[in-house]
Amino acid sequence: MTEATQQRLLEDYRVPDGCRDELLDENGEPRPHAAPLIATLERLGLEALAAAGRRRDRIFMQQGITFEVAGTDGERRDRPFPLDLVPRVLPAEEWTTIKRGLAQRIRALNAFVDDVYHAHEIVRAGIVPWSLIVSRPSFARPVHGVRPPGGVYCHVSGCDLVRGGDGRWRVLEDNVRTPSGISYVLENRVAMTRLMPELFAGHRVRPVDHYPGLLLDALRAVAPAVDAEPTVVVWTPGPANSAYFEHAFISRQMGVELVEATDLVVRDAVCYMRTTAGLERVHTIYRRLDDDFIDPLEFRPDSLLGVPGLVRAYRAGTVAIANAIGTGVADDKAIYHYVPEMIRFYLSEEPILDNVPTYLLGDEATRKHVLSRLDQLVVKPTSESGGKGVFIGPHASSLECEAQARLIEAEPERWIAQELVHLSTVPTETTDGRLAARHVDLRPFAVFGDEIRIVPGGLTRVALRAGSMVVNSSQGGGSKDTWVLDDGGAVDLVPGTLPAHRPPPRLPDVRYGGWRGQAQQQQQQGARDTDPRFPSGKSR
Amino acid sequence: MLARIAQELFWLGRDLARAEHTARMLDGVFHADVAGAAGEQDIALSWAELLAIIGEKAPGPAAAVDAGDATDLEALAAQPLAARLLGRAEVASLLTLDTDSQASIVSCVARARERGRGLRDVMSTEMWEALNTFHLGLAGRDLSAALVSGPYSVYQDVKERCALFWGLVGRTMLRDEGHSFLQAGAQIEAADMVLRMLRVSVPPAPKQQSGSEGEALALLHAVGGFQAYRRAVRAAPTVGPVARFLLYDSAYPGSVAASVEALHSALSTADALPRSSPPVLRLGRLIADLELQRRAPNAAAAFEETLERVQEDLELVDSDVEERYFAMAAAAAVHL
Repeated sequence: MTEATQQRLLEDYRVPDGCRDELLDENGEPRPHAAPLIATLERLGLEALAAAGRRRDRIFMQQGITFEVAGTDGERRDRPFPLDLVPRVLPAEEWTTIKRGLAQRIRALNAFVDDVYHAHEIVRAGIVPWSLIVSRPSFARPVHGVRPPGGVYCHVSGCDLVRGGDGRWRVLEDNVRTPSGISYVLENRVAMTRLMPELFAGHRVRPVDHYPGLLLDALRAVAPAVDAEPTVVVWTPGPANSAYFEHAFISRQMGVELVEATDLVVRDAVCYMRTTAGLERVHTIYRRLDDDFIDPLEFRPDSLLGVPGLVRAYRAGTVAIANAIGTGVADDKAIYHYVPEMIRFYLSEEPILDNVPTYLLGDEATRKHVLSRLDQLVVKPTSESGGKGVFIGPHASSLECEAQARLIEAEPERWIAQELVHLSTVPTETTDGRLAARHVDLRPFAVFGDEIRIVPGGLTRVALRAGSMVVNSSQGGGSKDTWVLDDGGAVDLVPGTLPAHRPPPRLPDVRYGGWRGQAQQQQQQGARDTDPRFPSGKSR
Repeated sequence: MLARIAQELFWLGRDLARAEHTARMLDGVFHADVAGAAGEQDIALSWAELLAIIGEKAPGPAAAVDAGDATDLEALAAQPLAARLLGRAEVASLLTLDTDSQASIVSCVARARERGRGLRDVMSTEMWEALNTFHLGLAGRDLSAALVSGPYSVYQDVKERCALFWGLVGRTMLRDEGHSFLQAGAQIEAADMVLRMLRVSVPPAPKQQSGSEGEALALLHAVGGFQAYRRAVRAAPTVGPVARFLLYDSAYPGSVAASVEALHSALSTADALPRSSPPVLRLGRLIADLELQRRAPNAAAAFEETLERVQEDLELVDSDVEERYFAMAAAAAVHL
């Protein structure tokens, strides 16, 4: 059986031109770090994979890990979250580079936010134009001059990384507002250990389940100074929000209250929540909604999701908000272009992770150049997220190209153009059960409290359609469990290298008593008929 | 109520509580084994420790030699290396599906069902059917294949079946003396299992406020108390707070304190003269002791002794129960 299935599982496995596959090399052989995984997959074969897939869908439906998709008939229905059963594997040294690069980038973005709302040094140095900063929709005038505790603005961030054909990691997008997806990282890992425990054999995978602890520590660390343990809450817009599952997940894992706007109230510039025992002071709010909605007195006056006076309390320093108000200015797509310069300016370091080459279209010459190469580039609207309005040149018809060109000519500042990255691929289940190369990206999650901590791996999103590079789950993307291997020198279980073993304490004997048990014991004087399923009378 | 029936109900409760705790611990250790655990060097909870907790001997030739011995803890302690080398395959199958082992889940369930057969007049039909279906379901399933492909489903099944049974007890069983003995058995076993786990896995004198403490999530997962801990305790889930939570926090139904209190209330209900009943009195003192210990300033330092003392007390309660309620049945058994 194995011979036949072995061939079929990876049969016709072809990596698209110009792309790099992360598990298999150019000759279709497993890369060394993924060899045990590929071997196990081949041994298990198609059948086991398909069976695990069915178990997965059932368990996800039972646990309510679903998302809504619009069917072809326009009707919305719940689907189990599409977790692909083949994990993505990252060797330890690669992860170390990513981790250092991300930490560096987040420090720079954080310094930038601080600068924007205070000294404007980067503007005076002539690196980022002030007009560009203030014209960003997420620039928040009400928090000018407010410095949150510890000077931390980007408490939670999730940058999107991609890997090109040359094998280099690049940052595609920054996300320092309310990046979502961490719940899927944790749920994916739990699901994988339950569905495909065999796959873990031969790999030492670094755990991810300490994320809620890291986040809680960070949120407590940035709370305004108080005598007692600070109170942390997670603020959700409500169950109708598409990421509500994640909000509930995070608050459950941290053991803190999940609040909605009506639960919070500001009195005399101090934020409280309404409890059965009256008002209780809130010190840190991990908010999962945009600046625009958080305080109708300062931002959108029509927001029903907001808490009036919250910004006043924030300015007074009686409550910490994570992420801080106004961080959106740092992850705007037009600002993205300047991040490598920020790293040099604020940290005096060379960027460890590169940007994808990006063109701002405000400049006449650049725009001309871009318009002439429109069929090779990706064009994105600034100040948008979630893959909305993205134009991919090589996949567009000439008609669409012309339409896009007109849009750019009309409002050049609204758009940026980027070189197309040939996203790396990972073997992925297809509808016929075999594995085929599908494009992936990576969103690692960083937490910034006292220091920057990054959970090993992150969310790998995968485009489930052949050739597609759109990985958003709202547009038919799935996800994969992401393994970062431990290089802590595998501890082999051989004599001499064992950690000191403590013999268990002397525990009382276990009894399997009851009337039958005693009758049996005493009758048979310790004879070795202890089969509990037969009453003693019958065994004679 | 007949002493024999009361005793059988008591042990039926114990068998089922044992099956459920074993399943939860196996699931917890299994998950930690596969997924890896962040900084959990501080607690010892893996396959070898699981054997010690359950009170089962290591499989293999070493165990076969002295099969007559009731417990093989000395043998286990004497061969730490061999025990350490035990892996998932041996221990999980021994404790789940080995019918030769009295400690395995299938043995516990088979025993419970066999007892249930003789108790059909005192328990509701629905309870009996739940128990019987549980047993038949385990017997009819290819457990060794399921253990390889996905043990989670096996343990999930055991947990659900146990929950179903206890749900039916709450809904359909007459709250008579029999009910009390059934509950008492389940509670004493639950307390004992958690105590065993804590004694084996928690290092002597857990470091307090050292900051370098590793997390003890595995302990919580092994009893299914992670979310309860998160809501009840604000401290990070490190060894000290987790161990204290599992011992003292009677608001959590899986804690030792909660089990002891439930045991106390079950026996006081069942006993005709609770005010002069040795097990009830002893339990009352134990509850007060636990509360005192919880508030004692040096509770952390004496944690290990506290665990040992509580377990010794429960042993005494167990023999008190035997003496006071079941002695008649035991005497009859000799002359059977």
